[in-house]
Amino acid sequence: MLPAVVFVGATVVYPLLYSVLQSFYDVGLREVIQGGAQWVGLDNYIDQFSRSRFWYSGFISIVYAASSVALTFAIGLGLALLLRRDFRGRNVMRALILVAWVLPTVVSANVWRWLLDGSYGLLNALLRALEFLEGDLFWLGQQVTAIAAVVFATAWSFAPFAMILLSAGLQGIPKGLYEAARIDGASPWQQFRFVTLPQLRPVSLAALLLIFIYTFKTFDTIFLMTAGGPGGATATLPVYAYNEAFEFSRFDTASVATTVLMIVPIALSVAYFRTLRKETAA
Amino acid sequence: MSATATRTAAPQRPTGSRRDQVTRRRLATAGVVATFVYLIPVYWMVVTSLKTSDAIFRVPPDLIPLPPTVESYSRAVFSDPDIARGLANSAIIAVGTTVVTLVLALPAAYGLAKFRVRGVGVVMMLMLIVQMVPSVNLALPMFVLFSSAGLVNSYLGLIIANCALAVPLAVTILRPYFLGVPAEVVEAAKIDGCNELTSFLRITLPISVPGVVTVAVVSFLGAWGEFVFGLSLATSEGIQPITIVLAEITNEFGVRWNDLMAVSAVVALPVIAAFIFLQRYIVAGLTDGATKA
Repeated sequence: MLPAVVFVGATVVYPLLYSVLQSFYDVGLREVIQGGAQWVGLDNYIDQFSRSRFWYSGFISIVYAASSVALTFAIGLGLALLLRRDFRGRNVMRALILVAWVLPTVVSANVWRWLLDGSYGLLNALLRALEFLEGDLFWLGQQVTAIAAVVFATAWSFAPFAMILLSAGLQGIPKGLYEAARIDGASPWQQFRFVTLPQLRPVSLAALLLIFIYTFKTFDTIFLMTAGGPGGATATLPVYAYNEAFEFSRFDTASVATTVLMIVPIALSVAYFRTLRKETAA
Repeated sequence: MSATATRTAAPQRPTGSRRDQVTRRRLATAGVVATFVYLIPVYWMVVTSLKTSDAIFRVPPDLIPLPPTVESYSRAVFSDPDIARGLANSAIIAVGTTVVTLVLALPAAYGLAKFRVRGVGVVMMLMLIVQMVPSVNLALPMFVLFSSAGLVNSYLGLIIANCALAVPLAVTILRPYFLGVPAEVVEAAKIDGCNELTSFLRITLPISVPGVVTVAVVSFLGAWGEFVFGLSLATSEGIQPITIVLAEITNEFGVRWNDLMAVSAVVALPVIAAFIFLQRYIVAGLTDGATKA
């Protein structure tokens, strides 16, 4: 037990604290190599907080995470409701859909870039065939469509995970409630609205929080699809922090960004464990 | 909670009324359509990888590669030393991560399950919370710390970084398995002359094999697909895992989409293969790790 605790302390807790500390020093590439960083107090924070790009990356992180969560949840719930019904082959289908979730991000990000290619992509071919589009459209080259594209790609990867969590929740709903609703003459929609949704609430809340945490910290999908572009439009906090450090060799301001970035997942995970406890207790 | 999700109850198929049969057929159709639509990206990856370099620029594109060709695989995958080296590096890192994770997590999870010492709750909470930490938050300080320790561009550095994510997950997955081993069985073994270690090796571990398999698979696949640590901690080409090689050749290949999809398919293959055979374990591992408090 002790070695693992020491290991986690040394490889997770210590780097995190080190990083927070680093945000109060002047750390460029020279200091990383030679040491001797100077204490600068809150200078790095003042510097970052006066930049509109920093605030934009915080803002776009929330927009990206919130839209990804909404879309992930909607697709996941749809899939869970469909595969809950009893029909031939549903287990195979469930397994196949889950492949989207375990696929390495480099692979799925590359495939999305190809599907969304402006000239030869499959999506545009489909849109042209349906006469929604003439000529080319470069999805990842414009701000709004680029954001939509990374949200969509994220939801595609996470929705199967939401499906698993929600399927578990659906199985926990007593069958008797549906029978009672049917006897009272409830339509399928009313059964969904007044039995399924309220019964699914605790599980949904836990799933929403968990997926929010996962998407809020997502780096690879965005970095690989847009590298934060075009023009910084998709530079969420993780991408912003990475670029500060490895593009501009500013490890201090990058630490400001990661320190701010850490607040949200930690605050939400406390909330998440509360709901989890309640759910287990209920 | 996921235990119930993964163990789908044997479907009772009542030979219901005609109406039921029609409904079920409609549902099956809807299921097939939904699954197919969902997997279009995977389908398109495979189809593109089997096309010629002319065929990928056809407008509108062919939905089936006729005739299919494996030239992308022979050109971009099998005759490219960078790809082979990237795959080998990833295999080394993933195996190393799996082994180190098991060595650290098995005794830890066992200790946390069996000994009622103070602080178990705190440690488990720690293991769960560190899983919520963004990888970038670790990769940046690790780069600085590893630079001074000479661990940048080394297998060891990458294995340590991957284990930072894998060990807490592994402990969270394994502990419930060890908790499930009845204390009476272990007591009986001790009466028969086992000590703490031999009773663990002969009784507890064999009973907990599914948990161990889960941890091994999840650690391996996590390290295989890992991107952020490879990107920041492996700057020299010789040590880069395949995920980074793939990201780099993306720029180099430009519009050679068929070659790019062939490499992507090869990177995805171990994951898909493992998933087909070990789905039960992977799903249980990845959901339990997050939902067992």
